[in-house]
Amino acid sequence: MKPLDLDYMLGLVPVLLSYVPLTLAMALASMALALVLASLLAVERILRIPVLDQAVMLFISFFRGTPLLVQLFLFYYGLPQLVSALAQINGVTAAIMGLTLHFSAYMAESIRAAILGVDRSQWEASMAVGMTRGQMLRRIVLPQASRVAAPTLVNYFIDMIKSTSLAFTLGVTEMMGATQKEAAGSFLYFESFIVVAILYWIIVEVLSYGQRLLEGRMEQAYAR
Amino acid sequence: MLKALVIAAVTTASFVTMAQAQDTLRVGMSGGYFPFTFVKQDKLQGFEVDVMDAVGRQAGLEVEYVTMSFSGLIGALSSGRIDTVANQITITPEREEAFAFTQPYVYDGAQVVVKKGNEGDINGPEDLKGRTVAVNLGSNFEQLLRELPYAGEITIKTYESNIEQDTALGRVDAFVMDRVSSAEVIDKSPLPLALAGKPFAEIHNALPFRDDEEGRALRDKVDAALTALKEDGTLAEISQTWFGSDITSTE
Repeated sequence: MKPLDLDYMLGLVPVLLSYVPLTLAMALASMALALVLASLLAVERILRIPVLDQAVMLFISFFRGTPLLVQLFLFYYGLPQLVSALAQINGVTAAIMGLTLHFSAYMAESIRAAILGVDRSQWEASMAVGMTRGQMLRRIVLPQASRVAAPTLVNYFIDMIKSTSLAFTLGVTEMMGATQKEAAGSFLYFESFIVVAILYWIIVEVLSYGQRLLEGRMEQAYAR
Repeated sequence: MLKALVIAAVTTASFVTMAQAQDTLRVGMSGGYFPFTFVKQDKLQGFEVDVMDAVGRQAGLEVEYVTMSFSGLIGALSSGRIDTVANQITITPEREEAFAFTQPYVYDGAQVVVKKGNEGDINGPEDLKGRTVAVNLGSNFEQLLRELPYAGEITIKTYESNIEQDTALGRVDAFVMDRVSSAEVIDKSPLPLALAGKPFAEIHNALPFRDDEEGRALRDKVDAALTALKEDGTLAEISQTWFGSDITSTE
């Protein structure tokens, strides 16, 4: 076994750290957009609007039923062949679009389940004290639903951060792309990939800690 | 976190890359083809970068580098995401039909490379029969192998990157790449590799442009710059720096 090139590894850390903002930015943008889209899809799935409902089901089925990598290639390399204007979309945008659509399909289902999970009696009680539909949703149903959905949604966000590494296949130099290039020039593959693995790991651990704090806060209101 | 939010806002806002003014030259490269285009400590460098910088100065063009996976480069050129590819693109009849090429700026050969110690068994392309060979996806070396009369007896594996590593690890019997960078990789990298025999095909590498009015105009500008750089010895000098020999002329 050859000794590891520790100097190279230490030198790589600051280089890769400078790509963390881009990785987080792609994940945050995708998460924000996916939350909006998933909420809309979830509400539609509860209301079951004719025709639109079939379209939403087809959407969810497709984006859950095909690999993310295939979807990214379809957007970035495939669609511009049909619509040449789409060639102007850059890799970062295509990655954000792909992550948004892919994850919103999953998130829609967990948001829907969380809303439906709020007990009927809660809805009836809100009506009984004379709340409007909007007040009922805002004050009674959504706070309880978000507590149920939060852990799952944070999990999807963690998955999203890791999935941004696929953007390097669209020519985006993010953490994984930068690592791949450094490795191709230094030929120190193990050193390169273990450093990037540890960096992703640290990011996810920091988030998991945040998740535990958040859940603790949300539980306080329900402490008996 | 705040910084990330700002970047998120900006990236989502810039849904469309702005149309380019034609005093810039967007040059695509993989950034993973040592020593032509590679990255060390986040700095893109190599023979191609030096050549394109010189071309930019000579032609009065602002050079902007775009890095992406090698197999995506030609597609990015066709769809107008970049203006040319500086990644040792070999002139082939098929590519000449689709693109407008400059004159060649590198004369090179196709080379078989094996794990150190196997150069006795494999001494050229004939010895690849019944073996597994790695090539870069979308490269002309893939095509060269497929055109050999005994291509049916060779198992060709295509890669996005890291063919050198897989050969050194013994996962494939050999890889085929250009002679110049093969020699450099053997010399400069820690990988146990060796040249197997002599180069088996002559290749001429040039810069491809889109074959439309705008593309051809840009090609003519760059081609004139290459002529000037050949005449004043700049290209030869850049080649000496990287390879210790002149690969930019046929002499």
